[in-house]
Amino acid sequence: MNNNTKPRLEDLNVIVAGQGGDGSLTVVNILADVLRTSGLRVYTERDVLSRIKGGITAATLRAYNGERLCISSHIDLMVAFDQAAIPKYAFRLNAKSIVIYDSSNGELTAESKLPEGVRLIGVPLSRYAVKNFRRDIYKNSISFAVIGRLIGLDDGQMKIAFEKRFGRRGAQALKYNLDALNVGCTLADNAGLTIGEGLFEIVATDSKAHMLITGNEAVAFGFAVAGGRFFAGYPITPSTDVMEWLVKWLPKFGGVVKQAEDELSAINMSIGAAITGTRTMTATCGPGIALMQEGIGQLGMAEIPMVIVDAQRSGPSTGMPTKPEQSDINLLCYGGAGDFPRVVLAPGNPAECFHLTVTACNIAEKYQVPVFMCLDQGLSQNTATVDPIDLSSVVIDRGGRLDAEQVSKLEVYKRYLHTDSGASDFAPPGTPGGMGLVTGNEHDEFGLVSTDPVNRNKMVAKRQHKMVSMKPELPLAINHGVETADIGFIGVGMCYGVILEAIDLLAQKSIFAQYHQVRTLWPMLDDTPAFTKRCPNIFVVEYNATAQLAKLIIAHGGEEENINNILRYDGIPMQAQDLVNTVISKLNLKEDEVA
Amino acid sequence: MTKTFTPSRPIWCAGCGDFGVLQALVSALEELKIPPHERMVVAGIGCSGSLQNNLSCYGYHTLHGRVLPTVTGSKLANPELTVVGVGGDGDGYAIGGGHLVHAFKRNPGVTYIVMNNGTYGLTKGQASPTAPTGYQDNLEEDLDPIMLGLSIPGSTFLARAYSGQPAQLLDLTLAALKHTAEGGGMSYLEVLSPCVTYNDTYRDWRTSVYDVDAEEGYDPTNRAAAFTRMQELREEKRLPLGLIFKGQRHALESVALNKDFPAPALQDIGRPDISGVCNDALQSFIR
Repeated sequence: MNNNTKPRLEDLNVIVAGQGGDGSLTVVNILADVLRTSGLRVYTERDVLSRIKGGITAATLRAYNGERLCISSHIDLMVAFDQAAIPKYAFRLNAKSIVIYDSSNGELTAESKLPEGVRLIGVPLSRYAVKNFRRDIYKNSISFAVIGRLIGLDDGQMKIAFEKRFGRRGAQALKYNLDALNVGCTLADNAGLTIGEGLFEIVATDSKAHMLITGNEAVAFGFAVAGGRFFAGYPITPSTDVMEWLVKWLPKFGGVVKQAEDELSAINMSIGAAITGTRTMTATCGPGIALMQEGIGQLGMAEIPMVIVDAQRSGPSTGMPTKPEQSDINLLCYGGAGDFPRVVLAPGNPAECFHLTVTACNIAEKYQVPVFMCLDQGLSQNTATVDPIDLSSVVIDRGGRLDAEQVSKLEVYKRYLHTDSGASDFAPPGTPGGMGLVTGNEHDEFGLVSTDPVNRNKMVAKRQHKMVSMKPELPLAINHGVETADIGFIGVGMCYGVILEAIDLLAQKSIFAQYHQVRTLWPMLDDTPAFTKRCPNIFVVEYNATAQLAKLIIAHGGEEENINNILRYDGIPMQAQDLVNTVISKLNLKEDEVA
Repeated sequence: MTKTFTPSRPIWCAGCGDFGVLQALVSALEELKIPPHERMVVAGIGCSGSLQNNLSCYGYHTLHGRVLPTVTGSKLANPELTVVGVGGDGDGYAIGGGHLVHAFKRNPGVTYIVMNNGTYGLTKGQASPTAPTGYQDNLEEDLDPIMLGLSIPGSTFLARAYSGQPAQLLDLTLAALKHTAEGGGMSYLEVLSPCVTYNDTYRDWRTSVYDVDAEEGYDPTNRAAAFTRMQELREEKRLPLGLIFKGQRHALESVALNKDFPAPALQDIGRPDISGVCNDALQSFIR
């Protein structure tokens, strides 16, 4: 094959599909690791079901020469461990796509709905796995050789990747998987995919070392660096990885993680730790937030700091546990009995997950309020390459804490002293002389229960005033794209990467757009309603049925007439091309005219 | 001396059993020389859930039923504190009943005192989980939390006192605090504490209580024998008092925390260790 005819690999999209438990995710993870060490940036996504094994599932990878935090609408390469998986994802293939499928049970049948021109490569993966290793699962390692040969990896590169991946599982696991890789290389030879003759030429310009990290991991990491030392949680998809990471790492920071018996216990254990003056976090998703709601009100009333992560999933109720949604925005901003101050921060990528968690810890402790980290399944669980985080940028602000000496200089210590900011200096339990009462009942400045109406009004005002005094410290929106463009996008979480790519795709058609990336949902800061007044064609992109984000903005003075809604709640991640198509059709733009 | 809150007078009805519990707790804390700033008293919801306001301490009034998760979190965050949870039978056995099971099996270093009166006094006398069949049309069998505790292998200290017998109440409160202070883990003390307004049981309990501390041959270290004896006494319609069971197991905080560090609450977190563990974690994402 002549090298000059090879497609340049600057944007490779690979889907690996099969039955749950076939190891699709393993294949994608190893491939992501190889490609990122080749200098490409990678992004991976998963489409899984709420069961341990079985059902059609897939993992998708995008490798890009630059940054893309979403999967493209077209798939270059599909690997199907089960032929039944092909029809589910065939609509994303095109005439240039390649499909590697397991031909152990025969050639592909006509029902697979493949577009014309797709190149099919049948490899008896499962048969060789069982024949050589008596374990079907080795088909994923066998398949890796075929994929590697196709995209032009050399065998040595693949071997190194396997040593990295399987080496920590022991010598025997590594040996079997390397043997499987060799079997795969032989099968690739048989299929005409010989060494050094891959179909693509990898083009990469960025050779820096990157982190490969999910949003959940970045939140957990940010919490530990910010001095978080206590975490209690109850496992629930898609938030569990926050706890899993902290179980492994927080003890090394001197902290402790406790798995609770339910979310009621998780938030109350966290409260127990927080009232001792320890930086504390819990993580859950919609059903868990619903269960924690009483505790969240307690944080507001009793003035206890805490960070609460919501990795939103498809609701209501149990909903679709493994699928993305952004339908807890109302719950986070308005949920709970009574009036109390709270903050809702919404990062758009893993780096922001890290930095905004640090901010969340500081705001929570300084103002003694609950701070939500509003994520979604996509941001929480998809992996992305991120430039190494500058740890020296982390600043910790603990607000007003009193030690024994400071307490001793006071004439009187009141746990709920009225102050200009609304937050009162706090002597942690164990501080001589600083005894105080903390309660979810209405209370006086000492924390003694009170229903006195004058006191009540002053205390409500004290708590609510925090929302005003903290405002200058909350993260403003970031504006991306052409600032004067009269097409604008608003969206949070997993919409971030899709909107940024849509802006690029529109610009290629000479349609200019901008992205107003809101990062503080509650309290809604003034810059967002202002943006909706100056940009005439705004598309608020969100994963829910009732336009919760758009309505939140309108409720705070946003210009309803300028706002269009792009809503999705079928559990499928959006693609940039979807946004491009919607914008063009909504605004009646004719591509040739604008170009 | 910096002025802080002045402990308030209890809100309880005259004759309420909870006065005896407050008196015993204050006496025991003083006898053990635990200064006010090292006391953390966490109270539930109900009449008994105001006890923390009545002594000098760091007090926290938790949500209904959540005393045990709260004290577990507090003790893990700062094991140097003497953490005492207090609450009623509705708080601890009904809305918070699930947590009791998990607290026994976790064995955190806390003392948990339940003031059991068999009724919901603050909401005017509905049946609680320990109300006998027939009380306020109660159709259910009453719960015996001591037997529950005996059935959970992690439990290490189970005792019952009666506020009508203050000497034994003080002894058992002291024993409970000591068990925990010595690293034994959770000490659970149920106090029969009559509600004079909605369920005045002084007369019944005076005659039905039975002191296993005074029983020759009773062995509180034998879990199976203790369970059998509790069942026999239950069939005889007696209410067993005394140190029912004392076992040995490590306290949760002694194994859950990294001993190379001060307690989580006592660490200086102002400056992250960016060349040490923070960088190790960062590098783990790059490798």
